[in-house]
Amino acid sequence: MPKISTPQALADLRDRLMAARNGDARATITLCAGTGCQASRSLPVQAALRAELERAGLAGQVQIRTTGCHGFCEQGPLMIIEPGNLFYCRVTPEDAPEIVRRTIAEGAVIERLLYTDPVSGQQVAHEAEIPFYAAQERVLLGQNRAVDPTRIEDYVALGGYQALAKALAEMAPQEVIDAVQAAGLRGRGGGGFPTAIKWQATRDAEGAPKVLICNADEGDPGAYMNRSLLEGNPHAIIEGMLIGAHAIGASQGYIYVRAEYPLAVEHVRAAIAQARELGLLGEGILGSDLCFELEVARGAGAFVAGESTALMAALEGEVSEPRPKDVHTAEKGYKELPTTLNNVETWADVPLIIREGSDGFRRLGTPSSPGTKIFALTGQVKNTGLVEVPLGTPLREIVYGIGGGAANGRAIKAVQIGGPSGGCVPESLFDLPVDFDSLREAGAMMGSGGMVVMDEGSCMVDVARYFLDFLKDESCGKCVPCRLGVDRMLEVVTDIAEGRGTLEQLDLLEDLGETMSLASLCGLGKTAATPVLTTLRYFRDEYLAHVVEKRCPAGVCRGLVHYTITPEACTGCGVCLRSCPQNAITGERRRPHLIDQELCIRCGICREVCRFSAVAVA
Amino acid sequence: MVASEVRALLAGREGQPDQLIEVLQDMQAHFRYLPQEGLRMAAETLGVAPIEVYRVANFYKTFSLTPRGRHELTVCMGTACHVRGALRMVDVAQAELGIAAGETTEDGAFTLERVNCLGCCALGPVVVLDGEYHGHMNPAKLRKLIADTRSADADGGQPDAQD
Amino acid sequence: MIRYITLTVDGATIRTPQGTSVLDAALDQGICIPALCHMRGVEDIGVCRLCLVEVVRNGRSRVTTSCTLEATEGMEVLAHSPLIMRLRRNVAELLVAEAPNSRAIQDIAARCGVTTVRYPFHHADCVLCGRCVRICSEMWQAGALGFVGRGAERRVALPFNERPEYCKRCYSCIDVCPMTIAPCAGPMAVGEEYLCAKCASQLTMTARMPDSCVWCELGKGFGCARQTPAARTRERTAAR
Repeated sequence: MPKISTPQALADLRDRLMAARNGDARATITLCAGTGCQASRSLPVQAALRAELERAGLAGQVQIRTTGCHGFCEQGPLMIIEPGNLFYCRVTPEDAPEIVRRTIAEGAVIERLLYTDPVSGQQVAHEAEIPFYAAQERVLLGQNRAVDPTRIEDYVALGGYQALAKALAEMAPQEVIDAVQAAGLRGRGGGGFPTAIKWQATRDAEGAPKVLICNADEGDPGAYMNRSLLEGNPHAIIEGMLIGAHAIGASQGYIYVRAEYPLAVEHVRAAIAQARELGLLGEGILGSDLCFELEVARGAGAFVAGESTALMAALEGEVSEPRPKDVHTAEKGYKELPTTLNNVETWADVPLIIREGSDGFRRLGTPSSPGTKIFALTGQVKNTGLVEVPLGTPLREIVYGIGGGAANGRAIKAVQIGGPSGGCVPESLFDLPVDFDSLREAGAMMGSGGMVVMDEGSCMVDVARYFLDFLKDESCGKCVPCRLGVDRMLEVVTDIAEGRGTLEQLDLLEDLGETMSLASLCGLGKTAATPVLTTLRYFRDEYLAHVVEKRCPAGVCRGLVHYTITPEACTGCGVCLRSCPQNAITGERRRPHLIDQELCIRCGICREVCRFSAVAVA
Repeated sequence: MVASEVRALLAGREGQPDQLIEVLQDMQAHFRYLPQEGLRMAAETLGVAPIEVYRVANFYKTFSLTPRGRHELTVCMGTACHVRGALRMVDVAQAELGIAAGETTEDGAFTLERVNCLGCCALGPVVVLDGEYHGHMNPAKLRKLIADTRSADADGGQPDAQD
Repeated sequence: MIRYITLTVDGATIRTPQGTSVLDAALDQGICIPALCHMRGVEDIGVCRLCLVEVVRNGRSRVTTSCTLEATEGMEVLAHSPLIMRLRRNVAELLVAEAPNSRAIQDIAARCGVTTVRYPFHHADCVLCGRCVRICSEMWQAGALGFVGRGAERRVALPFNERPEYCKRCYSCIDVCPMTIAPCAGPMAVGEEYLCAKCASQLTMTARMPDSCVWCELGKGFGCARQTPAARTRERTAAR
């Protein structure tokens, strides 16, 4: 395609591409090829489909569109067939012949491939009717199903880059900032800082060139919202950054993607190349004065690189260690230049604001937290996946309404929200709205969007220990309160988890936690104590059980439980014997087996594999 | 041999210290670890102090200063995988391979690593073997995966390779 | 022409050249703010977190390290508020529990009001203050030492664990290291660590010291007390 050099040319191209979008195809099969569905083998499904269509002589009449992540990963590989908005899930390559023969050729529905709603037990044939999707407002994520991320044509056909054209042709840079200000956009990476203020500070700062950074280092375990946006719709982020460049006067941009997202790196790089080819990156974009270059930088495996000053250090080729922030990075950031760093989702919201206007953006959400937010709902809940809802939605609605409630018949106890910097919100507080401010009072924070649902089978002391273990490795180790504080907290929580805890140690955890939150150098250290402090605040009874009774109520802490085989229930099938990683189980066939308590490491595998519920934990 | 390959990686990046991490990533992908000679050459060519190169090589988890095994088995330790029993996967892997996480087997066949969240949380527990993702893992499936890989090795490469 | 600016520390108004850190400004006037990783002549990195202060603006206060904070006109600093004393004591407690086998660390703990250690003692040989690293790379521009590793694995190391030929064995690194000064009663054996609390300059948590400084001997190479002529005069006047 030739370079586009005016907004009119872009509009014309869009019209042409839209008309040609489905060609002569009588049917379009949309197949999700995000990392999650790829893990469930969606690429072999695609290959099998193509082969079948060839064989049936339908290859020229049916279009296969591979898209990025739809966010419903547990049901993958996902397939949508038009016409009819038919939704198939958990498709295997072996299903391909039947799909071609019955659905494509005859228009028949294959019942066993339909989605079954775990709450109602009903089968749902159409994507739009699936309760998980229907209860959401998929303003950002919704586009993923319509776009092949490796083809800029798809993005342009659906109106992509129109917001950029409008901003360049009709809005002065300050007007763009004012629009973002009026929309009330707040950073989606966890900080919730008003985006317009950051942009203004960079615009007003002295120094050149001005730099934009997209923070795609999404390191919170259990969060993959950014992965889906980048893999599935990279152009949305590119367009957002271009609009930002116009507003701020920036000429250089970086998208810093963590090492663990190779598919996102691939798709963003390809998208940048295609945008450049079309003239949307480089000099004199769409006939304006805007000159902007964009590059992808890869992370190398460090959670702390998600901290803004650490990320900038990594971009400079150094270790990603945070720096003291007595001068804002908006004034002196990357290489001491004025820098605006925003999260992936924040950038993706920008074209939306220009397109719909600030009022349009404020249609959803609350006055102080406008817009939608994508959450990664995972853990012990029926419907796991990416959930996009208006900010201010009560937690209960997300967990029960969209998530479908408890997965395993055990009661839901808490939601861990905000990753290692966040906290555990108990069930009693589930009526709290999820937004930037309401959770802070509860001692937690919304964070970047990770939400892990925990039921009675999770031990909150163990959860605290898990996060401390994580932070011990991921802390850069520079400052005393974080490095030594996390180390000592882990020491204390381990004592508690293994039955050596004392009541004084509970007070110590609170005192040390407060010190860490005020004395640490960066956000990682300042929030490192939050998982411990929130679990102590809301699940003190569990801590007390560990300390006073030397008992783990959830039956998780390996030092406080032991596993025994109930002789009456054991059939001597030997499955546990073969599964034990320590070879701690002995027994003859058809005779009750025995666990050697000296060798047993309390991993719980025997209990998991036993089909007769013969393993008891106490 | 190492020197000429490293020179090829460094081409076009002379005197560019901020290319250090990209260079090390290319080196890691090419050699499956960071040979000391390569690191020293990178220091000189890019214009970075040797101690800084050494620092960066040690800081990031994707870099390894010792050769990695032929097969890399990575267990996801994200929160969602944790509540679904990721620790059990590590137990099984450690028992089957006879090494702790972060180590490589004596015969150079397997390296076992833990990683903090791959972003496939709905499919947990997840392990990655040689770049391929495996979701909904359990102890039996993991044992089988390791065993299959071992026997494929014994058969001399890919299971479906023809002589 | 040196431009001077004025700020208040604990209510005392002080003047300092523009571009000075709050820590240096305070020390120059004899206001004692404990510090470990701070060393004149090299960059302040703010890692020990002992020099924490509160900066008050528009009724809100922010806690930050005074060594990395540039003093600006009209700044209001609290270096010895109850919050700061508590934070400082807890940080010092972490330090002495980690590395008790050093007079400098024991002294800092005593000065910061640590009277009991609530953690089991470790026996670390290094507190990662970075004095050695910075004196080698910034003062002598040799770069033979650096921080290597992350989190609990962080340590000071030589490049590739070998002493390079550009290390000229000047031993400045050893000179400035707080761990090379044995506790007053002699080196502690592993497993027999204790909180010394014998420092003659021991302060209690409630003591505030505007305008005076405790001269405490942290060993050669350390000297955090500054008695300017102005402070000495004030002292003499007060004694009269």
